[in-house]
Amino acid sequence: MVDVTRRQLLAAGAALGVAGTGFSLPVLAQSETGAGRKSITLALPRDVQPPFDPLNRLSYPEGNILRAVLQGLIAFKPGSFEWELSAAKRIEQVSDTVIEFELKPGLQFHDGFGELTADDVKFSFERAIKPGPDGKLPLHGKDLSALEEVEVTGTHTGRIKLKTPAPALWQVVLPDNSGLIISRKAFEAGAYRADQPTKVIGTGPYRLAEWRPNERVVLRANPDFQGPKPGFEEIVLRPVRDSKTAELAFRADELQFTAIEPANAADVGKIPGTKILKQDSINFVWVGINVEKAPFTDLRVRQAIRLAIDVDQVIEGAYNGAVGRAYAPVAPGLLGYWKDAPRRARDVAAAKKLLAEAGVSGLRTRLTLLNKPAYQNAGIIIQAQLAEVGITLDLDVQEGGSYWSAGNGETGKTLELSLQRFGGKADPSFQLQWFTAAQIGSWNWQRWNNPDYDALFAKAGAITDAAERGRLYIEAQKLIDESAAFIWLTHEVNVYALKDWLVPGILPNGDDQLFNRFGAA
Amino acid sequence: MPAILRHAGQRLATTLLVLIGAVALLFVLTLFISGNPAQVLLGPRATPEAVRAFAEAMGLDRPVHERFALFLWNVLRGDLGTDVVSGRPVATLVAEVLPYTVTLTLSAIAIAVLFGVPLGCYAATHPGSALDRATAAVSIGFIAIPNFVVAILLLLVFSIWLDWFPVLGVSRSGDLSDQLARLVLPALSLALTWIGYIARLLRASLLEVLGEAHIRTLRAYGVPDRTIVYKYALKPAAIPTVAILGLGIGRLLGGAIFAEIVFARPGIGTLVYDAISSRNYPVVQACVLVVVALFTLTNLAVDLSYAWLDPRIRKAGDR
Repeated sequence: MVDVTRRQLLAAGAALGVAGTGFSLPVLAQSETGAGRKSITLALPRDVQPPFDPLNRLSYPEGNILRAVLQGLIAFKPGSFEWELSAAKRIEQVSDTVIEFELKPGLQFHDGFGELTADDVKFSFERAIKPGPDGKLPLHGKDLSALEEVEVTGTHTGRIKLKTPAPALWQVVLPDNSGLIISRKAFEAGAYRADQPTKVIGTGPYRLAEWRPNERVVLRANPDFQGPKPGFEEIVLRPVRDSKTAELAFRADELQFTAIEPANAADVGKIPGTKILKQDSINFVWVGINVEKAPFTDLRVRQAIRLAIDVDQVIEGAYNGAVGRAYAPVAPGLLGYWKDAPRRARDVAAAKKLLAEAGVSGLRTRLTLLNKPAYQNAGIIIQAQLAEVGITLDLDVQEGGSYWSAGNGETGKTLELSLQRFGGKADPSFQLQWFTAAQIGSWNWQRWNNPDYDALFAKAGAITDAAERGRLYIEAQKLIDESAAFIWLTHEVNVYALKDWLVPGILPNGDDQLFNRFGAA
Repeated sequence: MPAILRHAGQRLATTLLVLIGAVALLFVLTLFISGNPAQVLLGPRATPEAVRAFAEAMGLDRPVHERFALFLWNVLRGDLGTDVVSGRPVATLVAEVLPYTVTLTLSAIAIAVLFGVPLGCYAATHPGSALDRATAAVSIGFIAIPNFVVAILLLLVFSIWLDWFPVLGVSRSGDLSDQLARLVLPALSLALTWIGYIARLLRASLLEVLGEAHIRTLRAYGVPDRTIVYKYALKPAAIPTVAILGLGIGRLLGGAIFAEIVFARPGIGTLVYDAISSRNYPVVQACVLVVVALFTLTNLAVDLSYAWLDPRIRKAGDR
C-alpha cells in the first residue's frame, strides 16, 4: 500500500505549478521566410483513407496525394485547367476515337520497379474497364467507360482507342486522377492496396514516405524524378478538422497553408507575413425543387418560388458577400458557360400572382440542407423570403451522413426543396451529367426528366468540335432554366491563408491541388 | 473464496453483460439512423453499382440479428472486423489510436488530481476562508465552461499570445519533450472541469470525515492537524472522489473527442467521430466496444480500490 504524504503532494503540485506558470516548453522552430525552407506543412480538411490507388481513391485529398506520387500522360498547370505534358513526350488526338502517345524515355518507378512503359499505360487504363479478380470494376472505372483498349505499339508508344468520341477525356481523365499511371509490376506485387498504404509506386515528383492515420502524411521528394524539381524536399499534410484550429495553427506557423472561411479572410489577412488567396470556384450551389412532388409538379409554383427568392440577399447573408452569384451550373471561364443566362430579380407580386393562378395558397414545404453555417444561414433567409409570398418553409437541417442520402432511391421521392452543392471539374459534361434522367434516384434530386436535355447532353459528349460542344451545353442549360426546378446561388469562392513567401499550386476548383507546384517565392 | 475475489468475479461477469448490452443497443440504434452508409462513405458522386458493392462488403444486405451474431462471434475470436473504407483490420485502426486517447485521458486525470486534491484539502481545512470561497467560485467556473471553449481559450492564451505550447496536438515520434509539450494543453482542457469537481467533492467529504468520532479522538490525543488530514482523513474521504473519477474516466474517453478535434490529435474520439459521420459501422462498433470495455474495467478497478482506501470496507468484506 502506498501512502501519499503531504510532502509528496506538495512537491508534485509545485512541480506542475512551475510548469504551468513559468517554464516555457519547446515549440516548433518558426521561419519567417521561405528561403532555404525544405519542408512545409499544409492542412487537410479530413484524414486521408487508403487505398492510394487512382481508380479506387476515395476523394480529393487522396487524389491530390496520388497526383504528387504518380504521373499521368499529361497534367494540369497550376491555377488553370490547361494541361501540359507530364509522362508523355507527345500526345495527339489523331481521330475522333484514337489518341496516340509517346512516353518520355527513362521514367523510373520507385523501389526498382523499372521504367514506365506503354504497357503500364495499357494496364493502368484498361483496369478501369476490366473487372478485377472479385468480378467488380474499380470505383472510378466509369471515368474511362469510353475506352475500348490501349494498343501498345512500342516500348514507349501506344494508341488509346475509344468506342465513341469522348472529348471530356482530355479534361476529366488524362490530366486528372483517373489518368494516373501505375506500375503493372508493382500492382502485381501488391502495391496500391489499402493494407499496404505507403506502398504507392510511381514516377512522380514525390514519394509517399509516411502515413500515420489521423496524424500526418509525409511526401518526400523523389530523387529519381525526371521533371522539374519540386519546391520543397518534404511536404507534411496534417488533418485538421476544425477550421478555427487550422487558423490558430497557421498563426503559430505550424501550418503554412490552409483553407479558411471566407468570412475570416480580412481578420487572418492582418497576420504579419500572411497572404490571402481568393479564387473564384467552379463549384455550384443551388436550391433544387422536386418536380414530381405536388404542388411542385406545376411549373407556375416553381416559377413563383424562383421569383420569391432574392439570390443576392441570400448569398450576401450566407457568405458575407464574399462570393459572386451564379446564373447557371457551368461557371465562367469553362466551355459551355452561358453568359446570357437570365438575370432574374426578385418579384414578390409576380410570385404571388403565379401561386394564385396555380390555385396554391397556404403552402407549407420543407427545405433539406446540410448542417453547414453558410447553408443554414441561406436557409433562414430563404425561409423569410418565401414567407412574404405566403409559403411557410420548414428547414430540415441534416448532418452529412443523412443529407447525402436524402435524394436517393425511394427517400428521394419525398424530398421537396433541397439546398445542394456539387464540386465542379474542368469539363461541363461533369457538371451537367447529374441532371439526366438516368440520375433520378441517385443525384438528380429534382427528379427532373427531359429527354431533350438527355439527347443534348449525350450529343455534346460525343463530338470533338469544342465550339459546337459549348453551344450544345448552353442549349442544355436553357432547358434546365425553363424547368424552374433549379435556383442557382453561387459558384463559391475558395479562400486560403498562406505565408507570403509561398507559391501555391491549386486548380480552379480549389479541391484539386498540385503539391509539387508549391514553392517558395 | 475470499469476498474480494467473489466480488471481482461478479463484477467481471457484469462487465461482460454490459459489453454485450452496449453492442446490442448500438445495433438497434443503427437501425434508426437515416442515411445509406455505403452512399455516405462513397460520397456524392458514387455510382449505384459502387454503392451496392459497398453495402454488400459492409454486410448491410444481411438481417440485423445475423450481423449482430456475427460481430459477437468475431469479437470472441479477437476479430473486430475489417474497415470497409480502407480494408484494414479494425483492431489495427483502434490499436493505432488508442494509446493517444489513453495517454490524454490519464494525463487529464493526473492533472485534475494534482490540482484538485490540494485545493479540496485546503478548502476543507479552511472553510469559509477567502481562498475557500475563491476556490468554490473557480471550481464552479471550471465545471460550467464546456471543454471545447476551454480548449480554444487555452490555445489563444498559451499558443498564440504566450507562444509556450504548440497548437497541433502530436509530433513526430522520438521527440519526447515535443510530445509532452503537445500534450499539455489538450490534457489541461479536459482536466479543468475535473479539478473543480474533485476540489468541491473532496472538500465536502473531507469536512464530513473530519467531524467523525475517530478524528475527534486523534485531536484529543494531540495529533497535529496536518497529519490528521493527510494520513487519517484523506483516504476515507477520497472514496466518493475516486468513485466519481471512475465515472469521469468514461466521460473523459468520450469528452476526449473535443480535445482531439480542436487540437488535431489522433485518438479513439476522432476515429469514432469520422466513423459515425461516414456510417462506417464496423469501426463504430469496435470503438464503442473498446470504450465501454475501458469504462467498465476502470469502474471495476475503482470498486476494488475502495477496500484499499478504507480498512473498514476491507474488514467488512472479509467477514
